[in-house]
Amino acid sequence: MSMDTTLADLKKINAKYQMFHAMTDDTVPGDAKFLFSAKDNLTSKDMETCAGSRILEGYHPVFDATCIEKLRNAGGKLIGKTNMDEFGFGTFSTNSGFEIPRNPYDLGRACGGSSGGSACAASVIEDHMSLGVSTGGSICCPASFCGVYGIAPTYGRVSRQGLIDYGNSLDKIGVISQKATDLKKFMEIIAGKDEKDPTSMVQPEFKTAYRKMGSVAIPKEGIEGLSKEVDRVFKAAVETLKSMGVDVEYVDMHSLKYAMPAYYVLATSEASTNLARYVGMRYGHQEGDHSLKFDDYFTEVRSKYFGDEAKRRILLGTYARMAGFGGRHYAKAREVRQVVINDYKHILENHDAVLAPTMPFTAPKFDDISKMSALESYKADYLTVPANIAGTPHLSVPCGYDCDGMPVGMQFVADHWNEDVLFSIAEDWEKQFDLKRPEVSI
Amino acid sequence: MDVKTVQDVAKFAHLALTEEELERYSKDLGDILSYFELLNEAPECSERGVNPIKVEDITREDVPKVEYDADELLRDMDTYERYVRGPRLS
Repeated sequence: MSMDTTLADLKKINAKYQMFHAMTDDTVPGDAKFLFSAKDNLTSKDMETCAGSRILEGYHPVFDATCIEKLRNAGGKLIGKTNMDEFGFGTFSTNSGFEIPRNPYDLGRACGGSSGGSACAASVIEDHMSLGVSTGGSICCPASFCGVYGIAPTYGRVSRQGLIDYGNSLDKIGVISQKATDLKKFMEIIAGKDEKDPTSMVQPEFKTAYRKMGSVAIPKEGIEGLSKEVDRVFKAAVETLKSMGVDVEYVDMHSLKYAMPAYYVLATSEASTNLARYVGMRYGHQEGDHSLKFDDYFTEVRSKYFGDEAKRRILLGTYARMAGFGGRHYAKAREVRQVVINDYKHILENHDAVLAPTMPFTAPKFDDISKMSALESYKADYLTVPANIAGTPHLSVPCGYDCDGMPVGMQFVADHWNEDVLFSIAEDWEKQFDLKRPEVSI
Repeated sequence: MDVKTVQDVAKFAHLALTEEELERYSKDLGDILSYFELLNEAPECSERGVNPIKVEDITREDVPKVEYDADELLRDMDTYERYVRGPRLS
C-alpha cells in the first residue's frame, strides 16, 4: 500500500477499525519519507491529544513529544493519534472515553490494551509503524492480539517528554509494526538522551549490531494458566526456536506471582497523584460552574469526565498511599520490584532472554470482556507485568494462530539496555515465520 | 472495602460517587485488596528502588529563555485578561 493510497483510504479504514481518535486531513504525503501514528497520550501540536479521556477533550498541545519530534525530523508524517484505554488503564482498549478499536482478525474482538489503536493500525495498514506506550504490558499485549511485532525498551531508553504520565517509574515508549526489522529502524530514531527527561540521561549506547541468541529460559510459572490453544501454539514455537539453534531451559522464577499485585499498588499510587492535575482548568473541559468553591468545582468536573476505570484506579491508588495500608503494601511492592529485577538478572547471567507467551489467551470477544470483573481483568496482565515493573526491555513476536485464526504472541525479555539481543532474535524469527496478515477490505 | 471508606477516599480524591458507584467500587476494591494480601508472602528485600534503573540528578544549564509563547499557551485555556480562570478559593 503506497503512502498516497493509505492517506486516500484513511477515513474509510478508520470507519471500519476505529484505530484513530484524530487523523490528518491531508490526502497526499508531500515530501514525507514514511507515515506513522502515535498513541493518543503522546502530545502532538497539530492534533488533539486526549489520552483516551473525556476530561482532556479539546486539548491541543503546543509542543510535540520528543519521540514524535524526532520522527518528524527524520521525514515521518504523523497521520493519526490512536485510540487507547483512558490514560492507559486497561488490558483490552475497551476503557476509552471515545472509540474502541476493533481487532483486524475479528471485528467482534478486542485489540488488547492499552495501545490497542496503535497495534490495530500497525496490523491493518501496510508498511506502517505506530508508537505505543507500555506501563504494565500495553505494547506487547496488543501486539500479540493483533498479530504484529512490538517492543517496549528499557525504562529510560526513550525520552518521556510529552508523554501524559500514567506511572512515572513504569512508563516506556516503544514501537509496534508488522515487520521485526522496523522495530530496530525506528527505535534507533526515537532512543537517546534528552535533557528534558532526566531518566533518559543515564542510558548507555544504544546497541543494534546483530547478536545471535544462544539460549532462552522459560519460567515454569510463566506457562501456568494458559488457554489450551495458547499452550499448543507456544509449545510448537519453542520447538521451532530449538530448530533455529536456540537452547531452551525451563527455570523457576517464584517472584513472578507477586509482580501483578505489586504492579497495581505502584501503578495506581503513581496514577492517582498524576491525575490530580486534571481539575477543569488549563486544558480539556473547563466549563464547570465557577461560582462553586474550588473543592466542589474540581469534584464536579472530575466526577463528570473521568471514566469508570479511571475512578477505580484513582480510588485504589489514593487508598494505597494512605497511612496504614500504604505503610505495608506500597513499601512491600517496591521490595517485590527489586526481587523481580534480581531474579531476571540472575537468570540472565546464563541466558540471553527470558521467554513466555505474551498473553495467556488470544483476543477475547467484547461480550466476554464485559462480563469480566476488574480483578479478573487485572489478573490477565500476569505475564506482561513482571518485565514492566523491572524496567527490562521486552519484545513480542507473533508465533502462531489458534483454531479460530486469532494470533498468538510470545514475549522475550532481556537485561536492562540489551535491546540488541531482542532485535536479533525477532529478525531471525521473522525470516522463518509465516505471518498471516488479516484480510483488509474497505 | 466498606462503603464508608470508599466515600472517604473518594472525597480525598475529589470524586463524587453515586450510590450505585459506591456499592460497585466497594465490592471491586474489596476483591482487589484481598488479592493484594498475596504481597505479605513475598520474599523480603533490603533494597526498595523508586525507579527500576539507577538514575542520577542531572540539571540543565540555568539559561533564561522563552520556551513557548505565552499567548500560544493560553490559546485553549479559559482566561480573563490573560489570567487563567478558576473557581473561587473561599
